Amino acid sequence: MSDAVQSLAGQEEVRYRALQAVDPRAPGALETFTEGLHDESWRVRHAAAEGLRRLPDAEGVAARLISVLGERGETGARNAAAEALAGMGTVALRPVVHLLEHEDPDQRKLAVDILGHLGRAEVEDVLLRSLSDVDLNVRVSAAEALGRIGGEAAVRALEALLDADTSLLRLAAMEGLAALRKAPPTARVMALADEPLLQRSALRLLGLCPPGASTERICRALDSSVRSVREAALVALGTQATGLGPYERNELDAVARSVLSRIPEMTARVAQALDVEDVRIRAGALVAAGALGEASLALAVAEVAREDRLLREVLFTLGQLGADGRRLLLKNMGALSLPARTVAAEALVLLVDATSVPELCALLEWAEDDLRAVVVRALGRTRSPEALLPLVGLLADASLSGTATRALDQLIAVHPLAALAALETAVEQRTTPVAVAVLGRLGGVKVLPLLRRLARDVESSWRAAAVEAASRVSGEAGLELARGALADESAPVRIAAVRALGRQGGQEAGSFLGLALKDEDRAVRLAAVEAVGAGGATERALDLEALVRHGDGALAVLAVRALAKLGKVGSGMLWDALGHPDTEVVKAALAALTSAEGATDGAALAVSLVGHPRWDVRAAAARVLGDLGRPECLPVLQHALSVEHDALARKALVDAVARLSGR
Amino acid sequence: MPRFDEGRPEMTLEEFRLLRDHVYAHCGILIHEDMKFVMERRLWPRLEALGLTDFGAYHRYLRYDAQRIAELEAAVESLTTHETYFFREPAQLKAFCEELLPLLEKKNARTRRLRLWSAGCSSGEEAYTVAMLLKDSGRFDDWDVEVHGTDLSRRVLAVARRAEYGPSALRATPPDLMERFFVPAGVNRVRVRDDVRAWVSFGHHNLADEATSQLVPRTDVVFCRNVMIYFDQAMRRRVLGVIRDRLCPGGYLLLGHAENLLSLGADFELVHLKGDLVYRRPELPAGEGR
Repeated sequence: MSDAVQSLAGQEEVRYRALQAVDPRAPGALETFTEGLHDESWRVRHAAAEGLRRLPDAEGVAARLISVLGERGETGARNAAAEALAGMGTVALRPVVHLLEHEDPDQRKLAVDILGHLGRAEVEDVLLRSLSDVDLNVRVSAAEALGRIGGEAAVRALEALLDADTSLLRLAAMEGLAALRKAPPTARVMALADEPLLQRSALRLLGLCPPGASTERICRALDSSVRSVREAALVALGTQATGLGPYERNELDAVARSVLSRIPEMTARVAQALDVEDVRIRAGALVAAGALGEASLALAVAEVAREDRLLREVLFTLGQLGADGRRLLLKNMGALSLPARTVAAEALVLLVDATSVPELCALLEWAEDDLRAVVVRALGRTRSPEALLPLVGLLADASLSGTATRALDQLIAVHPLAALAALETAVEQRTTPVAVAVLGRLGGVKVLPLLRRLARDVESSWRAAAVEAASRVSGEAGLELARGALADESAPVRIAAVRALGRQGGQEAGSFLGLALKDEDRAVRLAAVEAVGAGGATERALDLEALVRHGDGALAVLAVRALAKLGKVGSGMLWDALGHPDTEVVKAALAALTSAEGATDGAALAVSLVGHPRWDVRAAAARVLGDLGRPECLPVLQHALSVEHDALARKALVDAVARLSGR
Repeated sequence: MPRFDEGRPEMTLEEFRLLRDHVYAHCGILIHEDMKFVMERRLWPRLEALGLTDFGAYHRYLRYDAQRIAELEAAVESLTTHETYFFREPAQLKAFCEELLPLLEKKNARTRRLRLWSAGCSSGEEAYTVAMLLKDSGRFDDWDVEVHGTDLSRRVLAVARRAEYGPSALRATPPDLMERFFVPAGVNRVRVRDDVRAWVSFGHHNLADEATSQLVPRTDVVFCRNVMIYFDQAMRRRVLGVIRDRLCPGGYLLLGHAENLLSLGADFELVHLKGDLVYRRPELPAGEGR
């Protein structure tokens, strides 16, 4: 960069900083900032507009800015003044509306533009009147502004303008309606779509129409020689496909397929559109690709997954490309980007068969963790005995063992003997303790001697796995091993014992769980609380009630949930829980209320929470009141609804009010 | 329509919001409501890994479990796209080499020291690419050079330190640079050469954490490409504050091609290079120290 350029940049910086340093309350600030609006640098003008908004005399500022709007030849200053006025809110409304009476049409146009940017519904009438202005540019701007504000009257006026004798006005009206997402009747839009100047806007509106004739017209536009028309058609196709139910989507796809399959080089055009910058065009290209069902587009479709927002459509489209498309993906995994690989792998899960094992195993060699998890699922679906060994090996991978276990379950169902042999070998070779759990489930009492031996293993992870597995095989042996394991020096082994006891249930297990509730290790205590609920140890209810008041929210939440499972939800416990500082405990108590037969004042408890500071607690309280079905709570809910601002809490209140009103 | 989600739990709107707020509080990453589907899909594997049956249970796990911090990092990692590869956005890199490097060579000629920061470096491809470009320019051979990569995810940092990559990461690497800067490392894998690695360091850093940003060295150029897209306006301002603070006066900020600083205040100057638009921390007026 030359020194001269650097010097100029330095001067701009000085002016910019000087404006930022101006005290808005200082005398002369208004003039300083107004002068700044005339600076040659956009950055300085922007800083001046921001500064003006900070001045205390907002009305004086608005008046001064209105005067700048009248400075002919000062385009930069006028635009900066308009920007400042548009950012001033209500205070700018009156002077800007007044400007609509100015004799200069340019000023009236600027005023309409500003009103559009202010976006206040109260100026709808004023803008409707501007639709009758003698100057065409003002009328066009008014139509555009109404497209930003959009009440019912605006929609009617814009629809009426579709018959205007000037194309420019019809165009502005269509754009306004498209911005408001209000489509006129399909036939009316179709007629406009034949006018070259209006075609792109008409396509936008057709995208808002229900599928059918509109889809056919949109797809025909994909044969246009004009690129921008083809792109508008793709955007429309993407818009139309959004949020459709299965039946309507099938209709759209069928119509699109019949038109697109007759257009020469359609596949190449769709491939090109799948790679453009504009995400709306890519969305439409996905719909077109799916309708065509062209397998060769699979890689390009998968690459669209780089845009998170299109993930759902990508998955859907890959499903439409059939087995050939998915085979193409499998062959080219290495060349795809990470998001494309992940989404392609999801699609592959549905494709795989017994012949896919070698390719899937090759993928496991180099794929990233996210992708490997999907590959593991796919291995389970191959139903091939060849997949057993790789999956047993993957049990040792902490991040994949859960998925591998579920995948193994699918193979065990069809190859139990081979699976048993593979798991026994894995345990003998001490591949991973995770194999013990699967082996226990599969081998049953036959493997009990092995489990007993492993319960005395030198490594705690093997002892824990054996104790838990034994409890699934045999109640008696499980209880015996769990009792011994409760005295283990390792917390994970004691946790395994606690889970085993919860699985067994019964008085003896309940008695042991009482000890575990007092364990020195927090994780053991947490597991014990859950186990008490799971095992139905009602004799431990008092212990749990004490824990509801515990400062550790995790313990308190689990205690409330366990008490609900035991059917021991009393008023005292509920009040304790509802007063807990942790809102998760409060929500757990609210969830328990509906099962609280003894808690006759349940409704009163929930009512006390409809004004809670947290939205999720208010929503939970509303749901409970709806479930309890007590009509006397209706006024409270209606009042809460009248003051509720949070969307999710409002939805819960609306549902509850509807239920209690019998609607 | 084929099903890709057999037996998987659906995320309620409430669960979505609780999880989204939790993630935002942790690292400032904002997940918009229309991304619920994406969030659901990305977190399913986490639920599977932990053996949890629904997203409410996952939220409680993130709140209470002893492993909650590690799990929150895993969740954030799943939610953010680590899509990156060597020599990404070649037009920008060309402008960096041909227009910015000569300026930096001149500016730092006295100290013969150059610092660059790859903020949100993911698995390291960008940081190594920058180091390779510096080597390739031949301008800084006997300089004190460091390219520092930071990321929120410890897992990707481990990958970055290993410096081993597969075909996807290399899909845009020119063959001559492939030859010069990589060595074979097994089937379909290569490793970045040691002389490049010697110029690159990595560290864990949450861009939303202003306090720990002091650990990042003062730098001449920041690459922060496709990172701001995850933040809302307030967090972008905060992150820009951090970047500005770590940039030397006159230092450059390079964003992704779809990103800009419009409506984020104007603490940076827009610099029109022939091949790209970049941002620069203004030089201090004469008389003001660093």
